Amino acid sequence: MKKIINAPEDFVDEFVEGILLAHPDLVRTPGDDLRVMVRADAPLAGKVGIVTGGGSGHLPLFKGYVGAGLCSGVAIGNVFSSPSSDQILQATKAVDGGAGVLYLYGNYGGDVFNFDLACDLAELEGIPTATVLGRDDVASQPRERKHDRRGVAGILFAYKAAGAAAERGDSLEQVVAVTEDVVEHTATIGIGLAPTIMPTTGKPSFELPDGEMEIGIGIHGEPGSRRGPLETADEIADHLTSALVDDLGLGEGSRVAVLVNGLGATPLEELYVLYRRTHRFLADRGIEIVKKYVGEYATSLEMAGASISLLELDDARLELLEAPARSPFFREG
Amino acid sequence: MRGIELNQHIRASLALLIESADELRDLDQALGDGDLGITVTAGSRAVITELEQLGDAATPTEIARTAAKAFANANPSTMAALVAGALLSGSRTWEGKDEIGLPEASAFVAAAAASIAHRGKTEVGDKTILDGIVAAADALASAGDPAEGMTSACDAAARAVRETTELQSRRGRASWLQERSIGLPDPGATAFWRFLEAWAVVSARPH
Repeated sequence: MKKIINAPEDFVDEFVEGILLAHPDLVRTPGDDLRVMVRADAPLAGKVGIVTGGGSGHLPLFKGYVGAGLCSGVAIGNVFSSPSSDQILQATKAVDGGAGVLYLYGNYGGDVFNFDLACDLAELEGIPTATVLGRDDVASQPRERKHDRRGVAGILFAYKAAGAAAERGDSLEQVVAVTEDVVEHTATIGIGLAPTIMPTTGKPSFELPDGEMEIGIGIHGEPGSRRGPLETADEIADHLTSALVDDLGLGEGSRVAVLVNGLGATPLEELYVLYRRTHRFLADRGIEIVKKYVGEYATSLEMAGASISLLELDDARLELLEAPARSPFFREG
Repeated sequence: MRGIELNQHIRASLALLIESADELRDLDQALGDGDLGITVTAGSRAVITELEQLGDAATPTEIARTAAKAFANANPSTMAALVAGALLSGSRTWEGKDEIGLPEASAFVAAAAASIAHRGKTEVGDKTILDGIVAAADALASAGDPAEGMTSACDAAARAVRETTELQSRRGRASWLQERSIGLPDPGATAFWRFLEAWAVVSARPH
């Protein structure tokens, strides 16, 4: 294993420090705990705060989406492990502008336990909270059990919608409603070609022989829901996109936003080869592509692979996607 | 029991509970990821430290909330978060109360059980800490006086561990072992039982 790191146990604190030094105009840490980061101008009086969080190893995911028109704060765990309830509470207090705080994060056991506990702690501090979970991975559970699905790259759409709604002054109840609506209409599926290597152990997270790929991969270096022979880019795009179109029930006249996301070690060129076929697949079925995102939005350290996400659009969702936003890793308008 | 006595009783009980850390670690290594020993040791030490800082005038609610936060932050594991959430739920039943007797203890444990069932999405028979807590809550609810409540809650928690040992674990990491979990005592339920045992030992000490 080769990695550009110092002591493995300092990895998280050091990259957070790097983000803070590189983007002091956009983000800051409210106290002395580097694991809590908020947008530079937080709290915004009278506006709903949005706190996200989760394990490290997914940049730009979580900490990369703290900024204007996106999340207001983040609690940062170790690589692939949950932040503590106290860190979540610190972020909550730092972004509370008097209109309540939305917890928006991916559906994983450890994160849910710690965020739920933070809800209790925030309530004791007089800060009302509500929770919306990203749960877009169609491979993790069938449609009938969609509430148990795990959250992956598609949470980008939920961040964008929640942040835009909060910025325009929606109440906590309204922010929850539009965010739930976006989550409901988002679906993601991914494939992996090479595993993640944990900085602490230096070991690959799974073994994958040449000529095979993991289908339905998550973003924690875990294997997918099944393994199959490596396919061409066009076959991969067709299979993944078709699963999403079926899951969301899209057809002629549907409008969508498309996100082709790299998992960490896949070149942009390959992502664009995937996007090309995804675009054609959708266009051939009369599905209109209104917004496109191609690049690294949610990664799993150096995992090779990609995911495709679709958000079915209506006018309300599109307006939220197009609202201005700016964070260290994301810009709109 | 007023706040000051409650505070002392919790600290003394947790100091005893730490002596069971190796047993809990071993049980959890067989069924989970082995961090329950650390969760209990680090959590108990943190609670003891924080409760020592509280003034004598602290109310039972304040004491329970201080304990919850300390336990959660010491080692942010799933079990720590569940226990802390349960303590916070329990603390709500004590608002405005200065004196904790059998009805208050009973209400606290029932609220704690409800919190764990809700947050852990678990039910009795899943072979978790909930089996012990629900058994103790039922025992407290039907007890006639505090001494009887203590004894019967402790017996009920012990029975819950024994009776669920032969079941298959249905929640958490332990459930991944499927039928291999049969015959192994649940670490969480055992931890709760050891805590009640410690509480009973401290109760029996001369004041």
